[in-house]
Amino acid sequence: MNPILELRGVSKHYPGFSLREVSFSLPRGHVCGLIGPNGAGKTTIVKMILGLVRPEGGALRVCGDDPVTAERAVKDRIGFVHEVPAYYDHLRVGAIASIVRPFYSRWDQPLFEALVREFEVPTGKWFGSLSRGTRTKAALALALAHHADLLVLDEPTAGLDPVFRRSLLERLAAYVADGQASVLFSTHITSDLERTADYLTFIRDGRLVFSATREEVFDRWFVVRGDPRVLDDSIRQSLAGVEVGPHAFTGLTSDAAGVRRQLAGREAVVEAATLEDIMYYAGRSC
Amino acid sequence: MLRNALRKDLLLNARHLWGILPWFLWVAYAMSEPDAGRITAVGAAFIGALMAATIAAREDKLRTTATLASLPVSRRTLVEARYLVAYIVGAATYLVVVVMAAALPWSVQRAAELVEARTLLLTLTLASMAIALLMPVVIRYGLLGVMVFLGAFQLLGVGVMVAFEFLGSRSGVGVFSAIERGIVALHRGLGQPVVILETAAVVALATWLSFRLSVFLAWRREL
Repeated sequence: MNPILELRGVSKHYPGFSLREVSFSLPRGHVCGLIGPNGAGKTTIVKMILGLVRPEGGALRVCGDDPVTAERAVKDRIGFVHEVPAYYDHLRVGAIASIVRPFYSRWDQPLFEALVREFEVPTGKWFGSLSRGTRTKAALALALAHHADLLVLDEPTAGLDPVFRRSLLERLAAYVADGQASVLFSTHITSDLERTADYLTFIRDGRLVFSATREEVFDRWFVVRGDPRVLDDSIRQSLAGVEVGPHAFTGLTSDAAGVRRQLAGREAVVEAATLEDIMYYAGRSC
Repeated sequence: MLRNALRKDLLLNARHLWGILPWFLWVAYAMSEPDAGRITAVGAAFIGALMAATIAAREDKLRTTATLASLPVSRRTLVEARYLVAYIVGAATYLVVVVMAAALPWSVQRAAELVEARTLLLTLTLASMAIALLMPVVIRYGLLGVMVFLGAFQLLGVGVMVAFEFLGSRSGVGVFSAIERGIVALHRGLGQPVVILETAAVVALATWLSFRLSVFLAWRREL
């Protein structure tokens, strides 16, 4: 089956920042976490998917279509939440929904009403008077209410309380469960993705560091910690983003078996990496 | 889809259009002044159209431009809706002035004069030219663009007056009198079929060029 989202060598240049030949794809029925530090290029990718920014090189396809040339058809299939949900501050949530609704061919008003009730979004309040978290919830209700094939969420959990964050992640997992819809979830809160993401795409300084399934990522990367005295050149060459302190060194390796052999009997451990470890050390090595 | 975009712009605009109210208060006063009827009506349509044309600027201020562009609607349709809203609001404000001329007890204006063909054509010409000039600037530069555009016109006016004063040949006020005479002459000329055709051609061309430019600028704009 064709991927729902496909980027092939996508590039974009701004003064002081370039996105360089980024390629990854997202099959139907999965959640993809787009991770990277601030300024890595995540939002630029999200904007390209929504047709707000045009790639200068490469190809980008959503459901097989180009978001620039098939603008309307592509966006009809996308539910979006921007990093800062900006709707009309002087309108009530219900009025905003009545503006947004006619644009979507598959808008489901009962679903929207159920979502705002579930998310406890007051539809009678001015959008501008809502807290950051409630604005995000309102934007999520709007994004989820038209049976989108692809949900594109840019830092959606920022400003949300932990209880709602967890229920949102469960909802996203359920959203893709029928194998038809997918979610691209851009964030730098990596703990959200360790529970939810099937695929992980790591961007740093506009470059793709890796894009793989969650299992591949956690099977590949391990953290090595040990006494700095055991850190010789051969071990250093096997590690990425090595950090040496007065009492210990830490680094990331994609060759756990090799490093274990080299460190056998010495004061060092090779242990499972968290996503944050991977982001931190893999990023340092770029 | 154009209907949805149009509806969106009208709903969004509804509150801001109350800003025309002070103008209508002045219109109510002007209705008691002889000879003020036509210029008041034309001015009302002009201001209504300009206010509506600045919707895009308000979208920028609310930072909703990216949200709007993320909805399943083409940028061309959004631009079409903006031009249409400007014309609709301009026509509506003109109609209100006509009703005021007919209904206000102290009005000395004849409503029939305001709905004669050449006055309507003059209004359409002036409002269309204003929309054609302003819209691409609004779409490309948003709120800042509107401020710079209107500020530049103010400065141009002041500059012209100062230049004429220094040259001493004519009073700077003469420039504005010349513009006024030009509008009066156009109004008179719009009774002749040839002038109507020529004016319609110029307005149509200016509007078409402005629209094409606006669509291009909206398409190129990265949000």
